Amino acid sequence: MDIQGVIHFMQNYTYYIGAFGLIFIGLFIMLVKRNLIKVILGLSILETGVNLFLVSVGYISKGTAPIFSNASIEGKSMVDPVPQALVLTAIVIGVAVLALALSLAVRLYQHYGTLDLRQIREQRW
Amino acid sequence: MNDFGLFLNGINPVLFIVVPLGFAFGIPLLGMISKKIVKWVPVFVYSFVLVGALSNIPDVLDKPIIIQIGGFVPPFGINLVAGPVGILFSALIAFAGLMVSIYAVVYIKEGPEVRYHILYLLLLTGAMGVVLTGDIFNLFVFFEILCISSYTLVGYFGNKSGIESAVKYLIQGAIGSSLLLIGIGLLYGLFGTLNMADLARQISSADPVTVFIPMALMITGLGVEAALFPLNAWLPDAHSSAPSSISAILSGIAIEVGLYAVIRILFTIFGISDFIMFFVFLGVLTLLIGEMCAFSQNNIKRMLAYSSIGQIGLMVFAFAIATSHAVAGGLFQMISHTLGKGLLFMAAGYMIIRSGSMKTASFEGMGKRMPLTCVAFTIGAFSIVGLPPFIGFPSKFLIIQSALAKGTVLFTILTGLVLMGTVIEGAYFFRIVQVIYFKKGNGDSERNEAPIAALIPMFLFTAVIIIIGIYPKFVLGILDSAASELLNQIDYIRSVLG
Repeated sequence: MDIQGVIHFMQNYTYYIGAFGLIFIGLFIMLVKRNLIKVILGLSILETGVNLFLVSVGYISKGTAPIFSNASIEGKSMVDPVPQALVLTAIVIGVAVLALALSLAVRLYQHYGTLDLRQIREQRW
Repeated sequence: MNDFGLFLNGINPVLFIVVPLGFAFGIPLLGMISKKIVKWVPVFVYSFVLVGALSNIPDVLDKPIIIQIGGFVPPFGINLVAGPVGILFSALIAFAGLMVSIYAVVYIKEGPEVRYHILYLLLLTGAMGVVLTGDIFNLFVFFEILCISSYTLVGYFGNKSGIESAVKYLIQGAIGSSLLLIGIGLLYGLFGTLNMADLARQISSADPVTVFIPMALMITGLGVEAALFPLNAWLPDAHSSAPSSISAILSGIAIEVGLYAVIRILFTIFGISDFIMFFVFLGVLTLLIGEMCAFSQNNIKRMLAYSSIGQIGLMVFAFAIATSHAVAGGLFQMISHTLGKGLLFMAAGYMIIRSGSMKTASFEGMGKRMPLTCVAFTIGAFSIVGLPPFIGFPSKFLIIQSALAKGTVLFTILTGLVLMGTVIEGAYFFRIVQVIYFKKGNGDSERNEAPIAALIPMFLFTAVIIIIGIYPKFVLGILDSAASELLNQIDYIRSVLG
């Protein structure tokens, strides 16, 4: 691919790069960090990336909201509303998981006095 | 056809999801009136669902029931598909749910009881939704309901090990769900639809390389919950720290619903009808690793949890062979595992309470102290190992027979490995049975049986295990049509989209 192609790709699919960037950053944090709070932050970033990806699947460049408020707007220039509905659901689920994870972190700290996952090994194989 | 006639031909399958969900949110109100009522709510709800699921069996053997939610025609609206597979699983979930809720009436005595019953109903609602839905995003939502309530229930007692296992389970499960959601997003971006039948129709004419990445992401994501081999590090911790009633549901229902989602996506959406060597090897590997880890345990609940991994491996092996006989055998193995492992966990729950320890050595002389519970445990163990006349025998026999029917040398060797796994399984279960009956305990030897409300579900599980073990023909009819629903993609598409 030549430079022109790369620039064209970057211009049209920036949001995909951003979304997968966030997904990989989140995954990296979850896999590498040892502090439970940081792992939960990684989970939050991962979920944001996934939501951003879902929205960008239905996005049309310079598209409008899919409401027929003005007769001159054509269907083709409207963004797809289905991914937005999916993202609303995914955000709600993500909030529930985050809240549960944080409350478990509180309980874990009460039991062990630390959030370092290397020192929490009651359970073994 | 009237979609809204509730009692036209059997009870409408929508109610299997709606009634438990409604009661789950009604429980806090009932809890204000009396805490005694609350623990009977799941019993009442799941007796209704069980009757409903059984009443639908004659209809679905004829043709699947398609329910359009809100009257939107597929592929635009969400639809439920209650085919033989859906009804088979909902009957299984309702039966296990009913039995475990009777057991929990006496077993759950401490902790926030009202919340236990809310989460229990939500967990089973999620499982029921996954097996009935015909929409891939809806599957994700129900799957999350199942996962979030099981993370919470694993940490129910709030003790050190419970919270630690819940955290591990939550982190791994959350990564899995995110991968599943990315896969769903990619599929929507490629095909612009979320309906399973519509996806299946479009994927059959799509480029196989393009759909490979979403498939891999979805299978990996669901594989965490289904406890496929490299993704199952959470399972022994979570299943052994949860309350025994929840371990029975997690082992008997939750991981099998995960596996159901995997095979539904592989067979129905991606239309992989030829057997896949990768999954055959994965199944055998999961089986051997699970059984070998179980053999080396001296904690009874961890042993049972690792044994569940082994059983999942056997089911994956059966489904990956992908002949109609083998798939029927895999589904049969799911039924037999739910019954057998549910019974084992329920019996082990009271044996642990009476002996005060999870160590297998502390069960010495249990056969004299709790004779009925120990008989139930022994029958469960023999059924899981696959001894006649219990249900584990026909299910394992069907799988081995269909693997050998492949006729190649490779499959003969793999079948030999599977049988070796069964031998290991037999070794550790017989060791426990020997400790229970043939070793003299040095503690008190007074007879102290489990309470009657815990013995009733154990007795009913035992009865079903023996009846189906002696007359497997009872279930073979619905198993065969369920296998043909899974393998016959065209019929599925036609029945949903018309």
